[in-house]
Amino acid sequence: MQPLLHLENISKRYGAVRVLEGIDITVAGNEFLTILGPSGSGKTTILRIIGGFESIDGGRLMFEGRDLAAVPINRRPFNTVFQDYALFHHMTVAENVGYGLKVRGRPRAEIATRVAEVMETVGLAAFGGRYPAQLSGGQRQRVALARAIICEPRLILLDEPLSALDVELRAQMQRFLKSLQRRLGIAFVFITHDQEEAIALSDRIIVVNGGRIEQEGAPEQLYRRPHTPFTAAFLGENNLIAGTLAAVDGPLCAVDTPAGRLAATVDGPAPPTGSAVLVAVRPEHVRLDAAPMPGEGLTADVADVRFLGANVMIELRHAALPGALLKVRRLADGSAAGLVAGQRVGLSWSAGDAALLRAGPAPAAL
Amino acid sequence: MRHKAPLIDALLGLIAGVGLVALYAPLLATAAISFFQVVRVRGALGFAPFSLDPYAALLANGEILAALATSLVVAAVASIAALGLALMFAFYFVSARRGLGLAMQTMVFLPFLLPPIITGLSLLIAFREIDLGRGLVTIIIAHIVFIVPVVYRTVLVRLQLLGSSLTEASLDLGASRVQTLRYVILPQMRPALISGVLLAFAISFDETLITLFVAGSQTTLPIRLWAMMRVGFVPEINALATLILLFTAVITFAIGMLQRAGERA
Amino acid sequence: METATARPWPDLLRAGLVHALNLGLPLLFVVVPILSFVAVSFWTLEEGQILLIPTLANYRAFFTEGSYLAVYLQTIALSLQVTAVNLALATAIALFIFRRTPRVRFLILMSFMLPLFMSYIIKIYSIRSILGQRGLLNEAMMALGLIDQPIEALLFSRTAIFIALAVLYLPYAILPIYLALDRIPANYLAAAADLGATPGQMLRDVVLPLGRPGMAAGAVFTFILTFGDFVTPQMVGGIQGFTFGRIVFSQFGLALNWPLGSALAVILLATTLLAVALAGLLLRREHVR
Repeated sequence: MQPLLHLENISKRYGAVRVLEGIDITVAGNEFLTILGPSGSGKTTILRIIGGFESIDGGRLMFEGRDLAAVPINRRPFNTVFQDYALFHHMTVAENVGYGLKVRGRPRAEIATRVAEVMETVGLAAFGGRYPAQLSGGQRQRVALARAIICEPRLILLDEPLSALDVELRAQMQRFLKSLQRRLGIAFVFITHDQEEAIALSDRIIVVNGGRIEQEGAPEQLYRRPHTPFTAAFLGENNLIAGTLAAVDGPLCAVDTPAGRLAATVDGPAPPTGSAVLVAVRPEHVRLDAAPMPGEGLTADVADVRFLGANVMIELRHAALPGALLKVRRLADGSAAGLVAGQRVGLSWSAGDAALLRAGPAPAAL
Repeated sequence: MRHKAPLIDALLGLIAGVGLVALYAPLLATAAISFFQVVRVRGALGFAPFSLDPYAALLANGEILAALATSLVVAAVASIAALGLALMFAFYFVSARRGLGLAMQTMVFLPFLLPPIITGLSLLIAFREIDLGRGLVTIIIAHIVFIVPVVYRTVLVRLQLLGSSLTEASLDLGASRVQTLRYVILPQMRPALISGVLLAFAISFDETLITLFVAGSQTTLPIRLWAMMRVGFVPEINALATLILLFTAVITFAIGMLQRAGERA
Repeated sequence: METATARPWPDLLRAGLVHALNLGLPLLFVVVPILSFVAVSFWTLEEGQILLIPTLANYRAFFTEGSYLAVYLQTIALSLQVTAVNLALATAIALFIFRRTPRVRFLILMSFMLPLFMSYIIKIYSIRSILGQRGLLNEAMMALGLIDQPIEALLFSRTAIFIALAVLYLPYAILPIYLALDRIPANYLAAAADLGATPGQMLRDVVLPLGRPGMAAGAVFTFILTFGDFVTPQMVGGIQGFTFGRIVFSQFGLALNWPLGSALAVILLATTLLAVALAGLLLRREHVR
């Protein structure tokens, strides 16, 4: 099936600085797609290119097979929710929401009806006569959404719209966004640097770093099987242990590390044996035994035990892994109660929970 | 980001171009005529070859030179006095109770906000009430009244930008209020002080409408020019105009640079 | 610690001196003169002597005697015309600057502001030397064969005053309008375009509404300055240039009727204050709506 939107091999530079390189993204008609990356990764530039606010230096931007290069901002079939909402402070909420219809020359009665409908949809039916300055942050957010959906775009672009909200409101707006997207059945392209938000909202996540795409996939897939050290470190916490690939048996791999031979699982074709690799294990997937088991996992010394509410984070050191602090997460159910700093324990995990990553040089920041 | 609208841009550009020509053509023409005098050969327009005669005539014109001297004295005395007063008012505004400060500020701003004709004639009447004869003193007082708001504004903006933490730090380190003023506050405000004084000097040097009321028999340069213009064209006016335009351009440029330096500091 | 209630008397004296200087000087040199000129407008003039007999005769003269009222209305009409034309020009020029890239903006703005700092009397002088009946404009047009006779309207006429005032006060209107446009958040324009607005619609719905306070300020500046100017009409208008400001000024010169001059000046002041209040009211109504 033809994708709704296709960014083909897009590159962008500011003077001599390359900000995007070989960006290839497809958006399906009704998916919630998140572009996730740290600040300076180029994620906002991707959004601004789709919206038409930035030009491109290479590649093509296709909408239903049609090149958008010559289509100006005001003719593009999608709308944007801006990071700081960009509500017009000299217009009422209703005037803001109805603006897209007004500039299309729709009759007043129709605009009034549609505005009422959309305001109902975002749960602000009674607020049409107010000015943006008289609304709370969450309400402004909803007005910005209403304004963006009133022209029934096929796609909405959201530029970190939740970053200005406090934690509680944020969780509430996340649920609202997700349900709104399902109800409207249109594509949302969402930009964020918050990995938890990305995981909670998205059908699919694209991780960008240094102007390139690191990895894309469903949230769970990315979380369980990161392909690059960056993804492994950026999405949740990971223990990363460097070593050399010793043996491969199907998806199962054995890796020689300074701390001994460790087991891991590889996604897709394995690199040749002898190449430099990383083993990535989530803190919650590490088993911790008071007595080290010979021949499996590794032994380490407890450095610190930190109580984090629902969890306990145990930090450990291994003599052969200087500088690296290994982390193990346990439920705070008393099972970690006996641990004290300096105690030597055994760490192990199922091979299925450890991901094998090609080490390679970390991609230079563009 | 640019939203292309070539037709609108072309129209706006045309208007802006006409505006620039209207603003500058008279000034440039005056400067040109000062070097190439207009001559009429049997009624037709022509230009004489390059000559500095109008400048020589200007240097020989004692009346103009005397007026220039008066203007310089007035502007110098008025702008220095205005600086002192503006500093006093600015410190009063940041330290006194808000109501008192605002009352002072409203009064100080008035002469600059009112039409010059009102400021001029009210000062004229006030000088008459106290039997102060019109002359150099009344001109200087009127100019001070008119330019204090400008210096005050520049100084106050900078002072409020400084905030109180520098003063508090200085006092905390054992400096007296006077020492704090001398070693901490005034040095920080130097660009604002200089640009304020320059601006005041330029405004005073140029002031015409108020001065016409209070000048009496004294003539500043603008008043002298006004009087000469009523009689007719004199070649040295072109030369003088050119020199003054050059002079104001230089001062404006200096103020601009200082304001930028002040913003960066 | 000493308490504030027991301040020693030198401190009290110093505080008193500070208040006296900071409030007394402006009172003496600003407020008292204004009050005295308003007071003089109610005194009587008899045989060249100002008598302290309260009267409304000076104000009555404005409405009944000579051509004061007519000149007043003509001057208002002239000032309003200059204001209207300059508002349109300045808005266009401010928009032109606003639509340049940030780097060029400052430079263009400065070139429109530089004449603001140029000598007032010399600007009038040079405008006059261009406009005059035998001025450069007429001479140049005749030399080029565009006209046979000098256009007499170009000096000592209402048209000449109009042109001179418009050129003289144009920068005063550009600056506030540009500053208002400059405060429009950049993403308002992005949002308007994103919602489908054409450049024309953005201008109508976003740029001009948000630029309106600046336009009001520019209009008020222009009106006050042109209405109060008494030198420009005299220099380029000659006999024709008999504006209200000139009548006021002449009461303190040749006519030497200070009470009448003061009364007329009070009317001039009231008119400018009315202009300010009107602009403020228009702006406020817009926001309450």
